[in-house]
Amino acid sequence: MDVSYEAVNGSDAGDGGVPHGALLARLAEAMWEGDREATAAARAAVVDAASADVMVDAVAVSANFHMMTRVADGTGTPLDPGTYDMSAPVREACDLNGFVSRRDPQGDRQTAQGASS
Amino acid sequence: MSITAPQRTYDTELPIRDDLRAAHGEIAARWSRPGTWWTGEQRAEIVRQVRAARDHRTDDGGTLPPWVQPSSIDGLVDADGPLRAAAVDAVWRITNHPGTLTEDWYQSIIDRGVDPLAYVELVGLVAQSNCVDRFADALELPRIELNEPADGPPGREGAPAAVKYHRVPTADIKMPNVIKALSAVPAENEALFILSDAQYVPMERVRGDVVSDRNSLTRPQIEVLAARTSKLNECFY
Repeated sequence: MDVSYEAVNGSDAGDGGVPHGALLARLAEAMWEGDREATAAARAAVVDAASADVMVDAVAVSANFHMMTRVADGTGTPLDPGTYDMSAPVREACDLNGFVSRRDPQGDRQTAQGASS
Repeated sequence: MSITAPQRTYDTELPIRDDLRAAHGEIAARWSRPGTWWTGEQRAEIVRQVRAARDHRTDDGGTLPPWVQPSSIDGLVDADGPLRAAAVDAVWRITNHPGTLTEDWYQSIIDRGVDPLAYVELVGLVAQSNCVDRFADALELPRIELNEPADGPPGREGAPAAVKYHRVPTADIKMPNVIKALSAVPAENEALFILSDAQYVPMERVRGDVVSDRNSLTRPQIEVLAARTSKLNECFY
């Protein structure tokens, strides 16, 4: 399967080679916007194109990444060592390099801070 | 890890898997129990503040902008509530503007009296409630009701931790950085695993198995949803 990053950049950019990729991206967008009508429409579209199981599981995955992003950015999580070069094409294709949340792999900050604080 | 606490979750005919219901019930039950650094009352209040942050609308219909602290607005935050203002401000900012968080902002929260390890637990709770509530909201289901807070002091049983690669203290474990992020408060890391196992991919398989399908979704479909959601939240990681 040839997969590209189109659907990551927006639901109007295509499926990116992923079955129902644009519909799933649209569902994620509606959830993020918190738009009730748009979310209902996106849910219905996924059910029509795939199934109710796919729709519920898709909502669960997107919700999970509202969690993971807050864990990563709430704690100042840097990219993992060894992933910087590997992720360069993705970062470029998805236009991520300008994000405020950018934290490249770091050396040991060595800021001693005990658990007793 | 164990999932032991049945809590009423979703009354719906939608095909929500039993393991997903159980995970949400377990996590919601933990929200009102004493944690590692916060009491049950404080933990429940953190979840309430996440809900308040998400539901509040300014005059123009948007959320509070990142540069406005809710504690600075008369009547928006209960000054006599169980959380200090800095904690409430952190909850709202992490909830509504996670992509704007900086080292200076974090330090400002710590300088206002939030213990770094208590902050880690707060991040975990904010993240969990954003996850569980957004799932319910997207399906137009009632959010899970909070239990009455259980009495008792926080356990204060964190892992030995130090600031190393992250902004916050982390334990000395060999894991991907995002899995290490909450490691100074093991109970919150466990909660992260419970939800991710049910909603995404078991943590131990995130990097080791990038091809297997999961439930009704193919792995490429899962990754489109994950990446699109992460980009919307302006998350570089």
